[in-house]
Amino acid sequence: MRKALSALGLIGVAALVLTGCAPAADEPAEEATTSASATAEPVDPVTLTMWSWRTEDVEKYNTIFDVYEAANPGVTVEFEAFLNTEYNQLLATGLEGSDGPDLAMVRAYGGVQALIEAGQLLPIDGLVDTGSVEQSLLAAATGRTDGNLYGVPFATQTLQMFYNKGIFDELGVTEPTTWDEFIALNEAIAAGGYTPMALGAKDSWMLPIFHEIVGAARYGGPEFRDELLAGTSDFTDADYVASIQIVDDMTEYMVDDVIGVAYADSQIQFTAGTAAQFPGGSFELGNFTTQAPDMELGVYLVPTPPNAVSSKPLAAGWADGSFAINTKSENQEAALNLLNWLASEEFGQLFVDEVKQFSAIKGLTYSDPVMKEMNELFASGPTAYINLVDMRYGDPTGSTLIGEGIQSMFLGDMSASGVADKLQEGISTWFTPGA
Amino acid sequence: MSMKMKTGNKPRQHGKMPILIGTAFVIPALALFSVFILYPLTTALSYSFFSWKGTLRGEFIGLENYVTVFTRAPFDEALPNAFSHNLLLFAGAMVFQNSIGLALAVVLHKIGRVKRLFQTMFTLPYLVSPLVVGYLWSLMLSPLFGPVNATLKKIGLGEFALPWLGDPTTAIWAIVFITAWQWIGFPMLLYGAALGGIPEEVTEAAEIDGASGSKRFRLITFPLLLPALGTVSILTFIGAMESFPIPYAVGGSTGAPAGATDVMALLFYRTAFESGDVGSIGTSSALAMLLFLFIFGVAVVLRTSLARAERKLYDE
Repeated sequence: MRKALSALGLIGVAALVLTGCAPAADEPAEEATTSASATAEPVDPVTLTMWSWRTEDVEKYNTIFDVYEAANPGVTVEFEAFLNTEYNQLLATGLEGSDGPDLAMVRAYGGVQALIEAGQLLPIDGLVDTGSVEQSLLAAATGRTDGNLYGVPFATQTLQMFYNKGIFDELGVTEPTTWDEFIALNEAIAAGGYTPMALGAKDSWMLPIFHEIVGAARYGGPEFRDELLAGTSDFTDADYVASIQIVDDMTEYMVDDVIGVAYADSQIQFTAGTAAQFPGGSFELGNFTTQAPDMELGVYLVPTPPNAVSSKPLAAGWADGSFAINTKSENQEAALNLLNWLASEEFGQLFVDEVKQFSAIKGLTYSDPVMKEMNELFASGPTAYINLVDMRYGDPTGSTLIGEGIQSMFLGDMSASGVADKLQEGISTWFTPGA
Repeated sequence: MSMKMKTGNKPRQHGKMPILIGTAFVIPALALFSVFILYPLTTALSYSFFSWKGTLRGEFIGLENYVTVFTRAPFDEALPNAFSHNLLLFAGAMVFQNSIGLALAVVLHKIGRVKRLFQTMFTLPYLVSPLVVGYLWSLMLSPLFGPVNATLKKIGLGEFALPWLGDPTTAIWAIVFITAWQWIGFPMLLYGAALGGIPEEVTEAAEIDGASGSKRFRLITFPLLLPALGTVSILTFIGAMESFPIPYAVGGSTGAPAGATDVMALLFYRTAFESGDVGSIGTSSALAMLLFLFIFGVAVVLRTSLARAERKLYDE
């Protein structure tokens, strides 16, 4: 059984390998799990292994776990990272067998359900104190069918508008506070010879993100979500359709043929200084600061559009992943101790300072001014990125449906209400409100 | 054959081999084939008949996964859409890649002297990973920074500077083109080898008999190329049906824009590894099996009918 996933990957690869025409060198599914040193150790000194997809953060996590090891003599935490694109398969295979990790980073919301349903993660209700964790984020690690908690969320992402302060100063424009100012700002940027907004519309996953940034306030954010989940409203709601229409209206402030622009191209547009604004997630911060170290970054929330349901601008957010314990771990007690620490403010602050991402722990201080502001913006009007948080528990996922729908809308093949209909119809195949 | 055996002076004993030794020679290949192809193939087949919860196998559900991939959203729309793109990739490759490959092979066969140089040049792209080729071309065709559109604009053909990969009508053809660009050397080499194998005496004799150039190609060269044509066609078919790295690099796993470059392997990949559905092992296995059966079936039919056509040609 442990070969379930690798065999499945193999069949895909075998299909490709069989041909003389299409070599399969790059199929990202294959590769077997190997290194996890689950050696039998004496009871006292414990080595806990943790798997992760954050290959870029290995050093940073080692620094963080040094602190834990110093405070807990005898405990060693081995942090092993695997290629992001292969991680899901590796982890599923690892947890199935006997050489899996004690703890692992697991994906959030819909992405973790397969592991939960297969009984591979330890339920931690009552065993881990999650009092310091932002409560709304616990849904990321909650089993959809049993409602139990299976992990501690570690990172969060928020959505907002990034802008280049240098260009704003040059053009004499400032952050908008009303919708009219927002439109005037885009007009002024275009008149100044810059692209107002950089968007990679060729990559459909970016489009629901843009929709939340410009449209969340229009459809109403949390109130709409409550109605949607209760079944008193759905995506064909007039306000939701209007929020999709805003996305279409905004193409005026992007390059021509924005549908051909790849996500990576849009990042370059912004970091190279040809576009003044970039609607995006907090995960962009690292890239922006490395690619354009001299650029002074600003962030704001897009003001509420006319007829908006929400009275204030909204920042959509979600948990990015959680730490969880392998049911088969032989060191469950030590793993639970570590998990309790991972739910603490001490870890949260170290995470913020070292990894430079947003933590799921409340009440931390962010030394980076942009991060500090983003954190404040999120606190001022938090809402859930619905199509990720609630609409990824089945196939097709909400974010795929709306992303492809918006592409069709950009191509002129679909209206805003058509996109909403397609979204509602697609998720209805597996989503039952009120369940 | 049997006549010869009887009339021959010595029976051909040296052609026979004790069955044990023969088996011993087959075993290594058979073992590798069993472990890496037969085993995954049969497990995937068995997976497709069960319900799944993550990696936990549920009960036997017969053909339900197969019914699902034909009837339930998103498969009911995605499957025909992706499949039609595979067929289009095959047709496109046959029309462009293979005919140009044949033309190149004929030209190179004639010029002789710098043949090696050109053969190497045309063959080089397929030494590069198709994923890399895909990413390179998506950079080349970018409407913002791509040299293709920049050049078109510079030489006054600005109206042809389209968002190649963003427009559904051009995106799939861009993939046909990129695939052809990479693989053109392959049919060229096969045809080149087949051309080299045609005895010159036959062509010379026809020339002396007064057959024109086009007649010689039609009646001599082409029939003798038929085996190569068959091989190229079948390999092209398999390649087009399993196309993955180039569409993945160009349109991502969703086949952007709006599914216009979706192919079967991408649909399988999405279902198996990016789906939020806990039963995805079952449905993705069903998809993989369907694709395998289709490719296998068509390849067998193609092979048999080509063999028949060849026999017919040579018998005449």
